[in-house]
Amino acid sequence: MNKNLLTAVGALALSASLAAPAMADKTKFDFWFGLTGDLAQRVGEVCQHFNDSQADFEVVCTSQGNYDQTLQNTIAAFRAGNQPTVVQVYDVGTATMMLSGAYYPANKLMAENGYTVKWDDYFPGIARYYAASNGDMYSFPFNSSTALLYWNKADFAKIGKTEAPKTWEEAAEDMKLLKDAGSACPMGINISANESWQLLEQFSAIHNEPVATKDNGFGGLDTELVFNKTKFVKYVTDLKSWYDQGLVKIKAKETGKTFVEAFAAGECDMMMTSVGDHGTVAKIAVPGLDWDVAELPVYAGTERKNSLVGGASLWVLAGKSPAEYKGAAAFLNFIAQPEQALFWSTVTGYIPVTKSGFDYMKAQGFYDKPPYTGREVAIASLTASEPTPITRGVRIGNFTQIRAEVSNGLQEIFANNKPVQEAIDGVVERGNALIKRFADTYPGKTLP
Amino acid sequence: MVRGPRSVPGAATASAPVARPRPQTNDKRVYFENRWIGIAFVVPQVLLIFTFFYWPAAQAVYWAFTLEQPWGGGNTWVGFNNFAAILRDPVYWNSIVHSFVFAVASTGSAMGIALLFALLVDRQLLGYRVFRAVLAWPYAIAAPALGLAFRFILAPEAGFFAVFNRIWPGVWDPTLDGNDAMIAIIITFAWKYLGYNFIFFLSALQGVPRALLESAAIDGAGFFKRARYIQIPLLTPTIFFLLVINITESFQDSFGIVDIMTSGGPARATELMVYKIYFDGFRGLDYSGAAAQSIILMLLVIGLTIVQFRYIERRVHYT
Amino acid sequence: MIERTPLLNLVTQLLLFLGLIVAILPFAIVLIAATHDIREVNTVPMSLVPGHELFANFAEAWRRADLGVKLTNSFIFAAGVAFGKIFIAALSAYSIVYFRYPGRMLIFWLIFITLMLPLEVRIVPTYAVAANAFQPYQGLLDLLGINWVVEHFTGQRIMLKLSLLNSYAGLILPLIATATGTFLYRQFFLTVPDELAEAAKMDGAGPLRFFWSILLPLSRTNMAALGTILFVWTWNQYLWPLLVTTDPSHGTAVVELKELIPSNYGIPDWNVAMAGTFIVMLPPLIVVILTQRWFVRGLIATEK
Repeated sequence: MNKNLLTAVGALALSASLAAPAMADKTKFDFWFGLTGDLAQRVGEVCQHFNDSQADFEVVCTSQGNYDQTLQNTIAAFRAGNQPTVVQVYDVGTATMMLSGAYYPANKLMAENGYTVKWDDYFPGIARYYAASNGDMYSFPFNSSTALLYWNKADFAKIGKTEAPKTWEEAAEDMKLLKDAGSACPMGINISANESWQLLEQFSAIHNEPVATKDNGFGGLDTELVFNKTKFVKYVTDLKSWYDQGLVKIKAKETGKTFVEAFAAGECDMMMTSVGDHGTVAKIAVPGLDWDVAELPVYAGTERKNSLVGGASLWVLAGKSPAEYKGAAAFLNFIAQPEQALFWSTVTGYIPVTKSGFDYMKAQGFYDKPPYTGREVAIASLTASEPTPITRGVRIGNFTQIRAEVSNGLQEIFANNKPVQEAIDGVVERGNALIKRFADTYPGKTLP
Repeated sequence: MVRGPRSVPGAATASAPVARPRPQTNDKRVYFENRWIGIAFVVPQVLLIFTFFYWPAAQAVYWAFTLEQPWGGGNTWVGFNNFAAILRDPVYWNSIVHSFVFAVASTGSAMGIALLFALLVDRQLLGYRVFRAVLAWPYAIAAPALGLAFRFILAPEAGFFAVFNRIWPGVWDPTLDGNDAMIAIIITFAWKYLGYNFIFFLSALQGVPRALLESAAIDGAGFFKRARYIQIPLLTPTIFFLLVINITESFQDSFGIVDIMTSGGPARATELMVYKIYFDGFRGLDYSGAAAQSIILMLLVIGLTIVQFRYIERRVHYT
Repeated sequence: MIERTPLLNLVTQLLLFLGLIVAILPFAIVLIAATHDIREVNTVPMSLVPGHELFANFAEAWRRADLGVKLTNSFIFAAGVAFGKIFIAALSAYSIVYFRYPGRMLIFWLIFITLMLPLEVRIVPTYAVAANAFQPYQGLLDLLGINWVVEHFTGQRIMLKLSLLNSYAGLILPLIATATGTFLYRQFFLTVPDELAEAAKMDGAGPLRFFWSILLPLSRTNMAALGTILFVWTWNQYLWPLLVTTDPSHGTAVVELKELIPSNYGIPDWNVAMAGTFIVMLPPLIVVILTQRWFVRGLIATEK
């Protein structure tokens, strides 16, 4: 249907009259986000701060459920011409967004509205993830995180260790000792689609191993998965053997406890999860739990590279009025202020995305007081090296489905249905078909 | 029960205006001649389904033959390629099998138990009003509550089902054992639809005349005989209604439960057809693949329904 | 029943009691979860001894989700769909069972097929229709070339627009457009003895009179059952209200409830979420209890 034909002639718009006539001098614009629960409250507070800070604009912030639902709803709204001005899109959605033709590039928006953004102030690991191949940022990083190793200091003390393992070889030793010392769960993991992030993507980045050809998909839609030929295979083989020896336990909601809950209960001695869970563990840990975070282990002899950023960024959508764009630019400028970074990191587990925000938080003593001590490890992990073409991130189409394939493969392995190599080969084969399907959907289009 | 008089030859001619007489129609012998009133009565429904079902559904059908870009940037006509790709995939055939197992098991248990409870409540013993109200509750549960509660009940390490593992270690493991995961989602779905079926069975039982039951009781027919020869035959229209609806819903309403409880795992053991549709379309933004799968699912359920209308409805006693 | 069956009675009571426990258990777990503090609710296994935070959690959930307004909206939404569907379904089933016209069975199947493709699967195109409910008709005008003809003669195109976004109509109408009710009424009408219609005709009652004074009163318990199910079903709808209502003044309780559910990496305050869940589940539970009053034995004797 041609949308142009639908301009109002017999306009009966039932809804228009229902919108309360607001203060005429404020320009309203919509911001849809994909967080719920406590985090939705926090986003609401950020919006409130913005609205209180100036007199020209009012942002209307609406939670659209989780990330998937937000993206889906935004697409439906965009197709019907009712899209919000700003929308939060998760990391995996970046490839889709860049091909959508539905966005207004963030750098262009800021320049046109008179804001000078110091783009090199963003941590390179974060900036490159959301940038086009020429380095231009099309969206603003918002809630960002990376994966860390959480470890139980008290239990490690029992085996005479005061530091978290730095290598997987060391970790394997530690887990054996922990088990001998009576630990029921030296390390808790899960193998659902969510954990592809830690187990495959973060692992590959810090080891500088490719997930896919063409620089993990940044170089073109005709990329192919290659993680059946990298250190990932050894990693899975080891995890499986540790699982068989009772060193690694599967902890998921299906077993009763997620690994975060099991760690917070003092049951598991290690887990790998996002720094975003730092606040959660602090809130729900059994009283007196002595724990800390460290960078993820690497295999011995590996030159550690930067880990990947996770989370979501804010996209400005096409087809809105100049006044709304002005408001959106003011909003994006507002949340990039160091004070907002401090507020946001204080009330959530997310990390600052700019050097100036990080410096400001350090200067304010944020990282010195519990329960926030240790979170600076996330910055260290993200900036462990200058991003290589492989550690920029993973930009692959249909990646949501591919993550599910990874989890299916891991489940086949852990349930003893298939040997490691055969299962991972299967994942890669099915994943490549998904990538091909994605490329076929966008004939003639290329990633910017 | 005596069959209704619709098989009387004269009745067949009365229903003649139907162009293509089916071997067995459930047409009324008596009908009203003013067809315009009849047509006027169906118009609101037809307008609604055209506007809010067929028009949008037609668009989804069109997507099934294309590769549609989610943001509306255009599409490529691919004919039956989407269907071919899905049907060539052994994993998809697996999900069809899983869907059937799930449908049969959950429909069977939800309907059987609900019917039993409805018959028992209908005996109106002490406290039946409480049972009557509470047994209908499960359908009213909100999805977040369903997830949390059944996670608590079914968890192998810490839930109520942990008891089984204490007696027989490792016997219950929905995390890695596909059959256990399937049982978990069947229990949850059956629990929810127990309430649904119970409400309809109970309402239908009210249509069984008390006098009929009482005279049977005087003739010496006990509870089971009365259920078998009086109540259940009179319930057949409702049983048929619930059978069709339950089977349809078990193919379609199971997404939420799978999503909350197993995400289709372990290793695809609970990947039902509708879960894959939602996952590919809703999460993965593969609108065309999801549309093609929807059409396959729809044809399958329509086929099942036709089978039910042709072969099972024969045994339904209407009047 | 009149006979004395002490053993059967005992078994009946035992089974029903068992059923009661099974039916109530998940609700009890939710209520207990709502009494805990955040640490206790995240302890696995959660303690089944209630904590002391029930009212604090209720208050927090109520405040965060702004439940006063949302519960009202949900009520209008659920009652609207239930009544609308019962009404439309009764009309169409009556038409299909009690009249003869060409295409009758086709229409029945057309209505019936709407059961086969859930709203969520066609949500993107359905949203487009909600954004302009006349889109299908505009489409027809364009497709059939009528617009071309009109434009040719008058120089103007016909453009239709009716947005249902952020309105009760937009919430309700698309959910009415399915067949559950029609099918149930068809099943019921088929069980109504032909003699009733015959007698009505002999008394000179027209189809409207027969429908209104005889059929509808007879289907009272069916209406109660269907109304209950539809109310509860609508009340728990999530995706559609979430999409159609972006203006908070039209949001529904279940949508708000989902906003209470902790997301990944957020603080897992399931105690507040479950307190909210419990509040939001109460109205449907009450409706289930209330509509049972209608489950009284009908007066018609179907035996022959």
